[in-house]
Amino acid sequence: MILLQVVVGGLLLGAVYALFSSGLTLIWGMMNFINFAHGEFVMLGMYAALLAVLWIGGGPVVFGLAAALGLFLLGVIVYFALIREVMRGPMLAQILSTFGLALLLRYAAFWIFSPNFITLPHTALAGTINLAGILISIPQLVAGLAAAVLATLMHVALMRTAVGSQLRAVAEDRTAAMLMGIRPDRMQALAWGLAAASAGIAGALMAISFPFSPAVGETFALTAFVVVTLGGFGSVPGAMLAGLIVGLIQALSAYWFGPIYKDVVVYGLFVALLWLRPQGLLGTA
Amino acid sequence: MRWGWLALAAMLLAYPWLVAGSASGAFLQDMGALVLLAAIGAAAWNVLGGYAGQISVGHAMFFGAGAYMPLLVYQHWQLPPLLGMPLGVAASLVVAIIIGFPTFRLSGHYFSMATIAVAELVRIVVGNWDFLGAAIGLQGPATARGWYDFVFRSAVPYYYLFLGVLALLLLVTWQMQRSRLGYYLRAVRAGERAARSLGVPVRRYKLYALMLSAGFTSLAGSLYALKTGFVDPDSGLGILVSVQMIIIAALGGAGTLLGPLLGAMILVPLQTATNTWLGGSGSGLTYIVYGGVIVLIARFEPGGLVELWHRQATARLMRRGEARHAA
Amino acid sequence: MRLPIAFAAAAAFAAALAVPAFAADSVKIGALYPLTGNSAPAGQAAKAAVELGVEIVNAAHPELKGLPLADSAGLPNLGGAKIDVIHVDHQGDPSVGQQQTLRLITQEHVAALLGVYHSSVALTATAVAERYGVPFVVGDSVAANITQRGFKWTFRVTPIATDFAAAYTEFLKQMKTIGKKVDSIAILNENTDYGTSVGGSIAEAARKGGFDVQQIVYNAKSTDVSAQVLQLKEKKPDVAIFVGYTADEILYMKTLRDLDYMPSMIIGDDAGFSDPSFIPAVGDLAQGVLDRSAWAVGAPGSVTFAINEMYKARTGRDLDDTSGRWMQALLVLADAINRAGSTDPAKIQQALQETDLKPAQLMMGYRGVKFDAAGQNILASTYLIQLQGKAYKAVWPETRATAQLQWPMTGWK
Repeated sequence: MILLQVVVGGLLLGAVYALFSSGLTLIWGMMNFINFAHGEFVMLGMYAALLAVLWIGGGPVVFGLAAALGLFLLGVIVYFALIREVMRGPMLAQILSTFGLALLLRYAAFWIFSPNFITLPHTALAGTINLAGILISIPQLVAGLAAAVLATLMHVALMRTAVGSQLRAVAEDRTAAMLMGIRPDRMQALAWGLAAASAGIAGALMAISFPFSPAVGETFALTAFVVVTLGGFGSVPGAMLAGLIVGLIQALSAYWFGPIYKDVVVYGLFVALLWLRPQGLLGTA
Repeated sequence: MRWGWLALAAMLLAYPWLVAGSASGAFLQDMGALVLLAAIGAAAWNVLGGYAGQISVGHAMFFGAGAYMPLLVYQHWQLPPLLGMPLGVAASLVVAIIIGFPTFRLSGHYFSMATIAVAELVRIVVGNWDFLGAAIGLQGPATARGWYDFVFRSAVPYYYLFLGVLALLLLVTWQMQRSRLGYYLRAVRAGERAARSLGVPVRRYKLYALMLSAGFTSLAGSLYALKTGFVDPDSGLGILVSVQMIIIAALGGAGTLLGPLLGAMILVPLQTATNTWLGGSGSGLTYIVYGGVIVLIARFEPGGLVELWHRQATARLMRRGEARHAA
Repeated sequence: MRLPIAFAAAAAFAAALAVPAFAADSVKIGALYPLTGNSAPAGQAAKAAVELGVEIVNAAHPELKGLPLADSAGLPNLGGAKIDVIHVDHQGDPSVGQQQTLRLITQEHVAALLGVYHSSVALTATAVAERYGVPFVVGDSVAANITQRGFKWTFRVTPIATDFAAAYTEFLKQMKTIGKKVDSIAILNENTDYGTSVGGSIAEAARKGGFDVQQIVYNAKSTDVSAQVLQLKEKKPDVAIFVGYTADEILYMKTLRDLDYMPSMIIGDDAGFSDPSFIPAVGDLAQGVLDRSAWAVGAPGSVTFAINEMYKARTGRDLDDTSGRWMQALLVLADAINRAGSTDPAKIQQALQETDLKPAQLMMGYRGVKFDAAGQNILASTYLIQLQGKAYKAVWPETRATAQLQWPMTGWK
């Protein structure tokens, strides 16, 4: 019984991981580029939710939307202001750029919001439900389900819509896409916007249950890297599956081996993957 | 050109004496030592990241190995920390070989990610291992039992020790640059696949570069431990340690001989100044400046100041050439 | 050509750094906090507390009866000279702490130093002060070895990990004697140096006290603690002691409620439980939890109540135990400087060694301030406060209690 509890908790959190990792894998697949500031996008989503609650009021839908819009805009700006130029430069610049961006974003939040931990004021989403002996907190249930739905929507959008196929075209073969009349620049900016937005919503969803501060971004970034590596770079369904798996592994390792080993297992898995199967579960080599 | 080197060497040698008279003499001497220490770390990273083009973001694990060993032998067996330095280098080399073989299969961003992951793993393991101090860390001698403990009140002995090690490292780097190793590394940096197809034993030479880089990074860590007298998982193995080495090398010019020193001479005083002026308010501006500097370098001058200088020098030469033509 | 540029740049910075700040007729003290980095919330709260302490010394506050130096403006024995604190951010980095301590001593010529929060930074910073012969008053770093190195210039006002462990053990033994079921204890500590050292001390003391002890170590920045709570639910300890920071403790309380598990009593080891965001976030879930503190706001009209009001006016939050300890350290230092009648570090050191403050002269609930040869305050103590309603009230020991202890805790029920 307790085991089932652990599993459910892990899967719900894993769904949220899946959501914010889908965006990261999209960028990675399209541009072969790692965004070290992705964790900060999640963190900013949390603060966007806070601002929405303070200024507009309303429930999760409102602040989810606020986070999505705000972060989408940020993603696009970051692309045009920084990423586009840096992509043409040496590897060193590419890696440094998002590192510096992460620090900038983190400490800008620090400056504006102060370093103190904040929780969202109690919303209508409080309470726990009891499903056949398993206790699930409503905010976590909502977050997990919403994340799963959104990640699926993203996948469907990529597969079925015109814009989606354009994004995939650029990811697969940039030159060919250009020859077909697709503007890679625009698609890449869109990808950045989507990635940031999905990270932002994930943050907003988590903000309902977890206290947050400007420093929380780091942990999310590392989790996202593991999920993306496991799922396969560029594969959104891969990220979804991997998110659930990583959430599950984290919960189970914490329960069986002790909480400290949770991180060791996850990182160890990460390193092993990079060495043995860099293309992940569903990616292409 | 030769007098340029002499001037640099003279300035570096005379610095502690030059600032001794000022009101902040001790502080400036201390900062000088910190500049040199940062330069050593960056120059060591530079061997792999600059010359060979393999951007490792996990060099903290070598730095940490070098920092932990001396303090370990002191804390557990009361031996002079100095004796732990060779152990630190040995540990780094072992880690380098174990890590290097599988990781060098990866390229570009994947390699960088792998180095981050491995370094973080090391940090977590050390942070939970009581013998290594766990989260509490290890301490060095608080007061000197003799000169061999290297606990000095003044920063000047540290300064000259660091200067000696830096000079050695730059000499080794210069020799490497002119040797076959340097030649192959340049080829790898320019294009790994091409280099391999031309017969360059890529894997082996990348490993040599890594070992050289790891060994000297370990020395930097040991020198840090001697001066600070304390290390814990965050200060010795944290990701910011790795990032700092990269930033300094990049600011000055990765892949150039004096780039790391130049970068250190600019960044360390900058960081100290921002912390001194802005830090007391607690607004986080210190890190906003740091992040901003990193982004600016990456965006506008990834080749660092050396590259900036080269461009200006070239422009100047071209203008001179044109003037001669016109005349 | 690049050399002159680099040299000029470096020289410019050096010159800029070489100009010390100056304020006439004041006593300069250097204070080091973590104002950025993961402990920034604590550092900033501490800075506000120190600033309040300075204001109390520098301006006349006759309403704070008993507090030395409160009713006069400035330091009487130095002709009314004011205290001028130079606030420095050590970023949680021992190397920066070392460097800035050196700067404060050699460039700013401070008469004494105050700090540090991080035990790691305390070790390097106090070592510099020891080498230069400048008194360093430690307000709240709890690692035992800070005062175990034979230093003569380090003075620590706060109780340390072993003091807390002893207090918990004594309390639990007392509970057992009056008939409460206290046989098994679980300690959940986070795995950085705070959690490890305090958690370890508590485990050791509790085992010696005859209790069955389990220690569960967890990762400080967890996003999910259900595994640990489920372990607790399985093992059913009578008492759970939490040693961790704010975010962890808030998360724990929520998870305990979600997974519907409540031990007979929860004891929080200060830090997270004392943080001003704890009560607003989970106060209604945590009714009856005990917290270790040497600070209690007290009844209206008391000196501590007045101090809390002043702090609230400045920061909008209540004074917490950790920041209170910083303020107390500043007051102790100011008192010593006054008794020394001089800014000569050696005289201040002597005055510190002669310190003998009585409880009525303190804002914190210590039994007094008196340093032993190693510089540790042997009269440092702590008491337990319990969350009843919207605020913590002192409940143990009885001599300090202002409210009745409720056992077991009611939590969210």
